[in-house]
Amino acid sequence: MLTKLAINESIKVILCVERLISMSPRWKWKGAEAKALAEPVSKTVSELQSSLAQTEASGFLSSCNVLLSVEPEQADLLDRCCFGRTVVSAEKDKRWIKLSFEEAFFLFYKLKCIKISLHGRSLENEVALWRSMRSFKTNFAISYKAYSHLRSKNWIVRSGLQYGVDFVVYRHHPSLVHSEYAVLVQSISGNDRLKVWSDIHCSVRLTGSVAKTLLVLYVNGNVNTENMNMPLCLKDYTVEEQTIRRWSPELSREDETRT
Amino acid sequence: MEEKDWESSPLSEKEAVLLCYDDEEYQFGAPVPKLQFRVGSSKARWIAELGMAEVEVKRGKLWTTTGIIRTGKTFCFIEEAVYLSEIGELQLLGDEDDVVISLKDLYREIAEGKCGCCWENYEVYRYLKGLGYILGRHGVPWTTNDVVNTTPSDEDESLCAGEFSQDKDSITKLLSDMQICDARPVFDVYLPNSHFKKSSPGEPSFVACFSGDSPPSKEEIEVLQKRVASPLMFCHIVEGRASFFSFNSIDLLVLP
Repeated sequence: MLTKLAINESIKVILCVERLISMSPRWKWKGAEAKALAEPVSKTVSELQSSLAQTEASGFLSSCNVLLSVEPEQADLLDRCCFGRTVVSAEKDKRWIKLSFEEAFFLFYKLKCIKISLHGRSLENEVALWRSMRSFKTNFAISYKAYSHLRSKNWIVRSGLQYGVDFVVYRHHPSLVHSEYAVLVQSISGNDRLKVWSDIHCSVRLTGSVAKTLLVLYVNGNVNTENMNMPLCLKDYTVEEQTIRRWSPELSREDETRT
Repeated sequence: MEEKDWESSPLSEKEAVLLCYDDEEYQFGAPVPKLQFRVGSSKARWIAELGMAEVEVKRGKLWTTTGIIRTGKTFCFIEEAVYLSEIGELQLLGDEDDVVISLKDLYREIAEGKCGCCWENYEVYRYLKGLGYILGRHGVPWTTNDVVNTTPSDEDESLCAGEFSQDKDSITKLLSDMQICDARPVFDVYLPNSHFKKSSPGEPSFVACFSGDSPPSKEEIEVLQKRVASPLMFCHIVEGRASFFSFNSIDLLVLP
């Protein structure tokens, strides 16, 4: 059965592969799909955006993340869209959430619903935050572009570290559905990932063993290099998507006829 | 209070097991196929200047899926001749006389990479043929009314395939693409099919490509995909084991 996902993809599909790797999302329990349909991720993100903007939620930047202070209901919304990780604390009326740079910048720059302070001062514009994050994390620009590209398509994006990749993406909350893609982000100019065959074997095998398809995002950030110091440069970045799959000839024959 | 990790153990799922491409078992546990060494098997004569063999005696149905037809005669490429010789279905005779060419000499031809097929290509050919797939050289029609072309003298591994292409425009394009193209399409591969006809083979399931020492770059894949209508599968051989990877451009679905 071909799902919308398979129909929308503009790839040349090899039938024998498709029979083996189901393109349908793997929902975790009966009723999960219906629940997902009833509450699209985009809707929850909108609610989150309004709520955070209303209370002027703010956080502060560290060298590796942004620590955001929110109300319990907001923590729940953040969890429903999978932004950040809760810091366990005894505080009852406040929750602390650790956001990755990508998550924080997305909420700050794209959704414009949080404030971030740096060196004790709240940042008014995004340039200082952009520069700080770029100074703390190499390839932040490329990584952020990939993150926001996926989020803009309403996929839930989480760290893929445990699978040896950059991100894993879910079409809805991980409690409802298994993640379908393990994402590696590759800068067009960098060419530092998947350079040798053993990298390909390794990544494909690893992601395959957890039933995910390897998805490479090629981010081209070479277009507007004068403006690299400003997040405005992001609008000229392009992202191309490519899946890498391994094919097993033994499992794909339709007919046992030998020559 | 523990933070929930929603991603449950994947190893308990059947799908994950199915998707785990662990074909170690095929390597070590697989029984050695019983070869039938026929007396009176097919015969072909090697024609050195063509780098191909002309089939003189056909035995068995294997010729429905092997060899190309030109002016009513059947010719086969070196990989086909060697494979059939290996499984005892073909006796390959020398140009000058009726002495059967030894496997040793045939292997050497392939090892030297002449005649358009290097050892890596042959490993894939042999592996897929053994599983029942149908393979033909990419860009070479199974049957035409033309005479068989002399193998071009500049046919070597650095060329992108298409040696028998008649279309001048595509040759010009081939030459211009050559600069960035280390990756090349080698075989058209069809699923096992007892009704296969050389006169109307249809589109191959995929085209087997080789990119050598390194995986193909994104640019190389794009160049090749523009020239080849069928899906591409890149082959990688290590220690005699062939792996096949497909690299597909997609447009990830926009969710509601």
